[in-house]
Amino acid sequence: MTRFQRTPTPGSHAAIAASVIAVLLADLYTPLGMLAWVFYFLPVVFTYFVWQPALPLAVAGTVSVLTVLGYLFSPPGLDPWTSMLNRGFGVVMAWALGSIGHQFVRNKIAIRKQEWLQSGQTALSDRMAGDVTLPVLGERVLTFLAEYLEAQAGAIFLKEGASRVRRFATYGVPLDASVPECVEPGDGLLGAALKDGRIAKVEGVPEGYLTVGSSLGRGRPLHLLIAPFVVDGTVEAVVELGFFQPISEADQELLARVSESVAVAVRSANYRGRLHGLLEETQRQAEELQAQSEELRTANEELQEQSQALQLSQTRLEAQQAELEQTNAQLEEQAQALELQRDELARAKAALERHAADLRQASRYKSEFLANMSHELRTPLNASLILARVLADNAGGNLTEEQVKQARTIETAGNDLLALINDVLDLAKVEAGRMEAHPEPVGLAGFIGQLVRTFQVVAEEKGLRLSFHLADEAPPTIETDPKRLDQVLKNLLSNAIKFTEQGEVELAVRREPDGRIAFSVRDTGIGIAEDQQTTIFEPFCQADGAVNRKYGGTGLGLSISRELVRLLGGEIRLSSAVGRGSTFTVVVPPVYDRAAPIRRTPLLDQTGVPAASAPPPKLATRSADDREQLPGSRRVVLIVEDDEPFARILYDLAHERSFHALIASHGDEAVALATQYAPCAVLLDIGLPDHSGLSVLDQLKRDARTRHIPVHVISSHDYHDTALALGAVGFLLKPVRREQLIEAFRTLETGLAHQVRRVLVVEDDPVQLDTVSRLLASDRVEVVGVGTAAECLARLESASFDCMVLDLNLPDASGFTVLETISRDDRYPFPPVIVHTGRDLEPEEEQALRKYSTSIIVKGARSAERLLDEATLFLHKVESGLPPQQAAFQQVRSRSAALEGRHILIVEDDVRNIYAVSSVLEPQGAVIHIARNGREALDALRQASLPGSQPIDVVLMDLMMPEMDGLTAIREIRMRPEWQKLPIITLTAKAMRQDQEASLAAGANDYLAKPIDVDKLLSLIRVWMPR
Amino acid sequence: MRTAPAQRGDVELRLLLDALYETYQYDFRGYSMASLKRRLSHALERFGCPSFSVLQHKLLHDASVLPRLLEYLTVTVSEMFRDPGFFRTLRQDVVPHLKTYPSIKVWVAGCSTGEELYSLAILFREEGLEARTTFYATDINPDSLKRAEAGVYELDRMALFTDNHRRSGARCSLSDYYTAAYDAAVFDKTLRRRTVFSDHSLVSDSVFAEIQLISCRNVLIYFDRPLQDRAIGLFHEALVRNGFLGLGAKETLRFSRYAPAFAEFAPRERIYRKGGDR
Repeated sequence: MTRFQRTPTPGSHAAIAASVIAVLLADLYTPLGMLAWVFYFLPVVFTYFVWQPALPLAVAGTVSVLTVLGYLFSPPGLDPWTSMLNRGFGVVMAWALGSIGHQFVRNKIAIRKQEWLQSGQTALSDRMAGDVTLPVLGERVLTFLAEYLEAQAGAIFLKEGASRVRRFATYGVPLDASVPECVEPGDGLLGAALKDGRIAKVEGVPEGYLTVGSSLGRGRPLHLLIAPFVVDGTVEAVVELGFFQPISEADQELLARVSESVAVAVRSANYRGRLHGLLEETQRQAEELQAQSEELRTANEELQEQSQALQLSQTRLEAQQAELEQTNAQLEEQAQALELQRDELARAKAALERHAADLRQASRYKSEFLANMSHELRTPLNASLILARVLADNAGGNLTEEQVKQARTIETAGNDLLALINDVLDLAKVEAGRMEAHPEPVGLAGFIGQLVRTFQVVAEEKGLRLSFHLADEAPPTIETDPKRLDQVLKNLLSNAIKFTEQGEVELAVRREPDGRIAFSVRDTGIGIAEDQQTTIFEPFCQADGAVNRKYGGTGLGLSISRELVRLLGGEIRLSSAVGRGSTFTVVVPPVYDRAAPIRRTPLLDQTGVPAASAPPPKLATRSADDREQLPGSRRVVLIVEDDEPFARILYDLAHERSFHALIASHGDEAVALATQYAPCAVLLDIGLPDHSGLSVLDQLKRDARTRHIPVHVISSHDYHDTALALGAVGFLLKPVRREQLIEAFRTLETGLAHQVRRVLVVEDDPVQLDTVSRLLASDRVEVVGVGTAAECLARLESASFDCMVLDLNLPDASGFTVLETISRDDRYPFPPVIVHTGRDLEPEEEQALRKYSTSIIVKGARSAERLLDEATLFLHKVESGLPPQQAAFQQVRSRSAALEGRHILIVEDDVRNIYAVSSVLEPQGAVIHIARNGREALDALRQASLPGSQPIDVVLMDLMMPEMDGLTAIREIRMRPEWQKLPIITLTAKAMRQDQEASLAAGANDYLAKPIDVDKLLSLIRVWMPR
Repeated sequence: MRTAPAQRGDVELRLLLDALYETYQYDFRGYSMASLKRRLSHALERFGCPSFSVLQHKLLHDASVLPRLLEYLTVTVSEMFRDPGFFRTLRQDVVPHLKTYPSIKVWVAGCSTGEELYSLAILFREEGLEARTTFYATDINPDSLKRAEAGVYELDRMALFTDNHRRSGARCSLSDYYTAAYDAAVFDKTLRRRTVFSDHSLVSDSVFAEIQLISCRNVLIYFDRPLQDRAIGLFHEALVRNGFLGLGAKETLRFSRYAPAFAEFAPRERIYRKGGDR
């Protein structure tokens, strides 16, 4: 049975049979000659409409037999012979009709088959038309074929690319059925079809073959058809179809007919796919080219902009140059003028110096002369005084009244002369610097009372009121030289009484705001004219020549007073107006300071009234210096000097020697600057406004941060031994010559240059040791080489090194042991270590080393370069101090109980982060465990959860790690019930929200973004640390 | 007010990029505009969208558009041992320096489909450094990363790769490292044993390790200046002192803010070295 034979309508065969039987019965009952049998032709013609080619012949045969039977059994009628003849014709007719029918049906069926095949081909071509991709093509071809051929199951395999044949679609096959993905030529039936290009048919398919499935069940097709699609001798596709019904010739023929067109379609789809791929590739390449060219264009534009900017700046520079040339010319002129002036000044200075020297000489001569003279004068004067006294006493009674009076006059004159000589002597002594103060505590009330009592009588004689006033705020005692103070005040009081005709004289003691003690002697006497107020302090000068005659006196008293007060570290001031009296004020420090320099304070207040206060010490003033422009310069010198001009001289000199200079004008500032800027040298004056330079020197030498700074002392007082004892490197006594200063700077410079750095090289191979030593040694680097660990330890104990280069293989101990010993034993200082090793390190070894050393160098072609580089880095501290990240970590130092003794597992492959994180956590008392990837983390956790070992409290998990990444590790951890609650914090360099969500989804408790914020890390750990 | 179509296109493009960032956290806003525009125009054709706004709508409502769009946004052109001179210089001049480190980390930033990574892995194996090296291959396109991890390339590209490999100064054949099957070549799995593949964005993410060598070739060309500066800043932070940075043949550090922090190591091959004093 084929699809082209119309299925007979159920009644058609019966109808034919019925009509045959009806005709037979009619024939049997009618007598011969009745042509009933003619109706036998009807069933024969009926068979034409039943599409079975054999049926007309069969019916014709039947009808022939029946016609004969009818002849034999029909009742007699017509002449049997005629009847037989008729029936004979009838039989012939029946056969003729039968064979015609047979031919007709067969032709009809053949035509239908052709139609079927052609419509199949056309429909398939339509399905395959258009721009379809391989999967779509496969799907369409298979569906079509299965439906058209009425197959129940199918699979199609198309050739993809050059040789591979891959399954693209299935039909009616359940999803879980095992259908091969690819087919190799020669592999099974499909492979055979692929290889031979022939259609294969399988009847009675065995178990385990392509199955058909629906929701109600599944079954196995009985017949199998495997057809390759071939063009130009190559198989482009294979289809396998399964049927329940037997496979017809037409099916095979259809497959054979469409073979080429399907193959062509597959091939062209392949071509199209490749073309498409190539097009996209080309587009992408074009894109990259374009992006590159854009980048180039941008670069080009930038270059152009830069060149324009350059041109601009060049024009500007040219203009500047012209301007500079102009200013240069001017400067030159000015320089010449200055040179002239300088020469002149130098000449004038030389003349002045000569004069000054002459003057000093003369002054000395004068003082010496005076001292000698006084002595020489006093000796004879003494004799004449005694004799005059003897005469005046007139013991013999042989002198007249007049003569006694004359003798008395001689004695008085002699006494005056003696007082004068004493004064002159005092003055000379003071001026020659030969007078010394002997400080002792002085009770002010007693001292003043005593003083006033001495003058009470004299004042009363003259009818003057003499009073004294001791202010409440004045201290009860001061420390000064009472003899000198008494001398001064007596002088002032006697002057006041002497020059006052009527009114009062008052002695008042009070405290100045700056803490010094002021003794004021006020009178209501004649006063002193303004123009004479300065001169009266000069020796042998009095306010008025006439005064001398009227009031007598040597005129030396005030000069001596002034010098004495200076000696006491104080000053004397005057305010006065003619006819209104005068006020002399003596100001002395409450405690006599031996180191204090002698002040030359102005004698007059600007206002002309008694001074209320002395000028406060110059604490606030600050000289302009280089502190704003110290670009990390190592050549910085600190100048401590309150005398501004001299400080300037030192400042300029420092610049001349290409130092940067800082200027401090008092002690506290000096110490602060030295600590802040760590200058390479200090030039220190001793006499400073706030406290002595010696105490500055002491402070500098006591502070570890400033101890190493060389200090050169320049002072007007000779503290040579004290300064050197305190640690100064040199001492200069003011006044200093320029050459001396330059010499001092040179000393400081050579000191700087000789800051030799020391490197310890530990290396057992003598050749290597020599090479490394040569490499590192320079005039500023001293290399000490040792060959054994013991030697290394001995060296470290006995001397300090700035850097250490360590080989790991030593004859007596390994480098690891050495490092461990150094780090554990406090006897050894721990300089920065560079590990220089010849062998490759295991990751564990590297980890262990990283604890002690930040740079590990494996010996090789380029290792020398890196060694030199790293060593230079340590020796000169190019990167000053710690890197910011580490510095930040150092701030967190406080030990919190939350982490004390807790076990934290850090899972991280980056050594830098491990180091950073553990350096934060270890000071907090946490015990750190390290794993370098997820797998190691799991091992570590397993290890820690064994009985007898400490369990891990918190896990810090990096996400990007080799072997097993963080997320996988977390998932693995969470799979174990005993680790469900283990706190895990992930560390991620990613900023995206999803990543954070991903770590939470994987089972982490929290996350922290890199770079790690120390405070956040600590607080997170505290939050998650189980209580 | 009427806006010129070109201007409107720019606005739409910016909105699209904003939408992409807000929804999927892929930040392309710092990429060079001209290049993005061209690539997205291709995408418009492919998705059959008349304008960026329509594409935006599609993107917001259909997550499956994202991977296909990413293909257009990230340019995945690469070849193995591209610019053989670069690799020759790595071999001759950079490797001796790297040999002084006990453990080495290499970062292939923007690894795309992995050609660069396999080139470096092969080079490091040939130079005997593989055992102590960890490679980090990062990209923002998960699809590219998957392909990089698979290490499968079309067979017809192998001729070019092999030629490049030979010219990079190799001592053996590239075919030692792959197996050809059908029309594809599969690279030796052990080559990626020491590699961490990870999604990492130079736009938003930060440094994850201390690196000795960074290769970021033909990536910066798609960035605008501020983004380039950010990326180079990341590299600067990640590199150890005297670490190496390799850029593409048309890329330069000259105009970057970080230019003074790097020294030219091999100017022709665009290999830079992080300076020691900053």
